Amino acid sequence: MTAATGPDLPVGKRTAFEPPARLAEHEPLQRRMRRPAATSFGSVLVVLRAIAGAIWLAAVVLNWSAVEREFDLQLGGAAEAAASDVARSVVLLIGGTVLLIDLVLAVLIWFGSNWARITVMLFATINISVAAIDSFTGDTEVTIRTTFLTVAIDILILLALSSRDARAWARLRRHGRHAAASHPRRPVRDDPEDAPGTAS
Amino acid sequence: MQGAGESPGPRDERPAPDLPPRLSFTALLDGFFFVFAGAAAVWLAWLLFQQSFEFGWWGIAFFVVFWLVLAYLVLPRLHRILTTIYVPDYFIGRTRTSDGLLGDPVNIAFDGPEASVHAAMRAAGWTRADDITLASSWRIVTSTLRRRSYDEAPVSPLFLFGRQQDFAYQQEVEGNPARRHHVRFWRTPDGWLLPGGLRVDWLAAGTFDRAVGFSLFTLQVTHKIDADIDIERDHIVASLTGADVGVRVRVLHDFSTGYHSRNGGGDTIRTDGDLPVVDVRAARVTDAAASVVGEATP
Repeated sequence: MTAATGPDLPVGKRTAFEPPARLAEHEPLQRRMRRPAATSFGSVLVVLRAIAGAIWLAAVVLNWSAVEREFDLQLGGAAEAAASDVARSVVLLIGGTVLLIDLVLAVLIWFGSNWARITVMLFATINISVAAIDSFTGDTEVTIRTTFLTVAIDILILLALSSRDARAWARLRRHGRHAAASHPRRPVRDDPEDAPGTAS
Repeated sequence: MQGAGESPGPRDERPAPDLPPRLSFTALLDGFFFVFAGAAAVWLAWLLFQQSFEFGWWGIAFFVVFWLVLAYLVLPRLHRILTTIYVPDYFIGRTRTSDGLLGDPVNIAFDGPEASVHAAMRAAGWTRADDITLASSWRIVTSTLRRRSYDEAPVSPLFLFGRQQDFAYQQEVEGNPARRHHVRFWRTPDGWLLPGGLRVDWLAAGTFDRAVGFSLFTLQVTHKIDADIDIERDHIVASLTGADVGVRVRVLHDFSTGYHSRNGGGDTIRTDGDLPVVDVRAARVTDAAASVVGEATP
């Protein structure tokens, strides 16, 4: 027998707070929705991060001998030159692939892909966590001279892409294709393609 | 033993407690990212704050960036997370800001189809506000800085029934975009009744922007509203009855208790709690009013 349900108490009392699971709830789908600023901003930031990565990669490859000295990669012997070239190619290949994937993800996010958005957020979360753990354990302090810029870009990407607008829009693009087809488009200024500032 | 909890009663007829619909794995992941990004943003603000002591006079630039990040990224996200949990998600006579904070009070109700609302508002000398776009946002910035008139300036979004306003009307005062009367409209959900059981078609929130200023509440630059929102409510109703379009007004006295509070920007508000219900069904629909119908209706 539960105490809270007598005949004079027909309705259970509502809790003083809303269930925290509401934070994970789907946004209500809106039919008219332009690409939100958060999505554009997040996608542009991913491109910026790729550009920063390209500059870093170029610097590494161009100053290869200095990098070798720093990491003590000298192998000695006759194979040294060949091994060094192979190592440089591998770094260039892997780095270039990562940057290319980053760019592709940015384009996919721009056009409303939900999985691309989630993938980018997942990697941003990992990067931020690693930087935060490094910083809190005192290994690498995050300052403007070290990793501040990349950490800041990652946090801004995560903030933009996790926002409610970006979430709703990405889900709309995923779920809303046939729903949008069953509702005839409104002819007037609601058409997202007509909106100023959103031409893609 | 037949306990009260097991006997069929009114409690058992209630629908199952409303769980969030379709809580998928990616949705949970989204919820996690939403909260994690909030925490990360706090850290970013802290890092920026530390940097502002490192670079001499350049530190001031870091401090400005720190303020921007704090006021426009960190606090809104934290407000959003906390208000989602703590602010009741049912009608309490208050709109909510995009951060989920309590915004302007709902202080007028309307009865009638959308075309009649547009017709009555136009006849009463109100201008429909533009939607927020990049172009209209830029125009409001330039017109504010140059003190130029922009009578269709967009209004900020406020939320009721979980939806942004359907449309908004405004009257600029003395050609100054910082000062204006404005009123936002929401269509009520089908079959929805006001507390007390009255059916109305539209709810509206009218306030008077008296200046643009710095809010100590959100740390953002916003419009400050006049505290006596009843004056604005009565102004809206008077403009409608004075327009001679056949509107009828009945007042629900003490719809809410009179109260003092603050809106989402931290401005004080006070009201006597009356709710006028404006019946615009008799308003003649002109072609101009009919042409804007459908732009906002969901």
